[in-house]
Amino acid sequence: MDLRLSPEHERFRSELRTWLAANLRRPWREELRDPRATETRLIELRRAWQRKLWEAGYLGMDWPVEWGGRGATAVEKSIFEEEIARADAPPILNILGIGLLGPALIHHGTEAQRRRFIPPMLSGDEIWCQGFSEPGAGSDLASLRTTAVLDGDHFVLNGQKIWTTFGPWADWIFVLARTDPKDRYGGISFILTKLDTPGITVRPLRQITGESEFGEVFFEDARVPRENLVGRIGEGWRIAMTVLGFERGAVGLAHAARYARDLAQLARTCRELGRTGEAVREKLGRLLVENEVMRANGLRTLADLAAGKVPGPESSIEKLWWSEFDKRFRETALDLLGAGGQLLRTSPAARDDVDWAREFLWSRAGTIYSGSSEIQRNIIAKRVLNLPQDGR
Amino acid sequence: MKFDLSEDQELLRRSTRDLLDREWPLEKSRRLMEHEPRGWDRGAWRQLAEMGYLGLLAPPSAGGQGLGPIELAIVCEEVGRAALPGPYLDAVLAAALLEAAGGHDALLADVVGGRRLAVIARDDAPFSGEPRAVTRFADGRVQGRKYFVPFAASADVLLVATPDGVALAEGPFAATALPTIDLAQRFAEVPLDHPAAFLGPATLLERVDRLAAVGAAAELLGIMARLLDATVGYVQTRQAFGRPIGSFQALQHRLADMLLRTESTRSAVYRAAWCLATDDAEAPLACAAAKAYAGDAARAVAGEAIQMHGGIGFTWELDVHVFFKRAKTLEQHYGATETQLARALAAAGL
Repeated sequence: MDLRLSPEHERFRSELRTWLAANLRRPWREELRDPRATETRLIELRRAWQRKLWEAGYLGMDWPVEWGGRGATAVEKSIFEEEIARADAPPILNILGIGLLGPALIHHGTEAQRRRFIPPMLSGDEIWCQGFSEPGAGSDLASLRTTAVLDGDHFVLNGQKIWTTFGPWADWIFVLARTDPKDRYGGISFILTKLDTPGITVRPLRQITGESEFGEVFFEDARVPRENLVGRIGEGWRIAMTVLGFERGAVGLAHAARYARDLAQLARTCRELGRTGEAVREKLGRLLVENEVMRANGLRTLADLAAGKVPGPESSIEKLWWSEFDKRFRETALDLLGAGGQLLRTSPAARDDVDWAREFLWSRAGTIYSGSSEIQRNIIAKRVLNLPQDGR
Repeated sequence: MKFDLSEDQELLRRSTRDLLDREWPLEKSRRLMEHEPRGWDRGAWRQLAEMGYLGLLAPPSAGGQGLGPIELAIVCEEVGRAALPGPYLDAVLAAALLEAAGGHDALLADVVGGRRLAVIARDDAPFSGEPRAVTRFADGRVQGRKYFVPFAASADVLLVATPDGVALAEGPFAATALPTIDLAQRFAEVPLDHPAAFLGPATLLERVDRLAAVGAAAELLGIMARLLDATVGYVQTRQAFGRPIGSFQALQHRLADMLLRTESTRSAVYRAAWCLATDDAEAPLACAAAKAYAGDAARAVAGEAIQMHGGIGFTWELDVHVFFKRAKTLEQHYGATETQLARALAAAGL
């Protein structure tokens, strides 16, 4: 057992810290509460930050150098995510392009597709959104009904995608569409579609936070060139499942770094407010303990990655952990702050630290997106505990 | 970087499990717990000593193995899984305290060899809150009253924690048994008015407290792992409505949560043990977090184990309650959750 980073990884971490100290203008939290912080301004800020990371060689960490990546390992990627969280850097803009589509093209795309799509994806010139969920296909994704019918050298797309993160700002969407109505899994294809194609309409959806980070996308006889198919016809489900696997990694470490920072702030604020009684201390203590356990889980995943193990269904434990913890953390913060915790950022009485109200609302999303808590528990029950098919 | 145990450590785990399965099957242990007034078999205990388990942490010069906190976690996990009756962790902690103090080589060698039993006496009150009187050490005497002293009726030596430092008192002690829900552990109330030696300042207990946290958390982990196995096995065979109850999502999701708690405890326990073994600066926080979390997690897992076994889970006959009770006791001792939360906050500078 050895939970120390190797000397090379330590060097990577310290170089990255130096780079962040020199290049991060101000923490994301401060950008968010800047009075001029409109949605558009924040989007452009994220685009600029992404470009900076790209120019410094910190994007596509574990992609081959040939395709604009760094050629590093999942370990460096996890260290990178942890340091970014620790420094409170803005999130990059093209999360879905770089997180999901990039790996899909590297593993399943053609040479021409990689050449065409990867450089602007990394630079932030083309922003991607993910067209998976539909009004009738959420957790049961394979029941999706958006169709793609081949007509000469084009697919004709009809249907609707929903909860499409970045839909309102994206230039492109990668769509899972049905090419064979009779084959549940083998009848799904993976198609790259430009959002300004005639027949496509994007409508923002207002979220419980008041923001419109996601939207819905309608397809009405939208014609997409056949060369935008990734893999073969009917291979979409397999590609989507391998791609979702790339979301895994030692995410616990990055989350733990973020919560450690917010928890320190919460403890300082409680002290300033004179909230130092035993009940308050116990709540803070429990959050701290749970965060340390999440860090331990993250270290274990990182060590397994470093030892060459491929993360399996156990990564469902990390997803379940941080997303459920996020809710407990944010709820507790509001309990401790009293009514003032609910003040909007724009309120004159709001405190000048974490936007607790916004975080509280956002915490309701994590247990729904990228595989709800219920789906994660199904995965653990079936693939880790080997329980029999459920009878509901 | 790797989380997995070394080959030697894996060997220690396998040989410990084999030994406990062979020599301390639960039917035999339950007979001891339920019918032997002292709650353990001192003769059989000598075998643990001969195999080096009591001297796990002690230096070879004292007849010990000179191993560290990771090995302690491995053995304690197996001890928890087996519900081994007897003061295993208590004896190891006493040996660690004697070693840290120095100057008691003969006693240390006897504890490691299983010839004498030393345990640490900590609690000044039977319930939480301020004690009515605090045990003090002055002028070569220790005076007061200690509660929940483990296996005091069998103890030859008590290492008594007082505000004046740790005092070493030799028995016999007038121990009054304090029966609790836990069958595997015997506790007693011990009035003290004994000549005693000064073992060292109270700060000596700090590292021992961290070892205690890791050891107890590892026992809790062993309990959780065993109950999870037992429950997963049961729901696959027990039929209701024409199918195994383990096929119902209502149970599957809760079993998934049991796994999450068990594996998260494993991460926390072994990380804490590793931090302690390497003198990592995060050891105080990691140890406190491991014990605090393990206590909550084991209570939840053991409670679910009873619930999912249904009526049979509430019977004396089934073994589940032995672990359920043990989990609750371990949660309260070796630094209760409240204490660990305070330690964690202090260690994190919050």
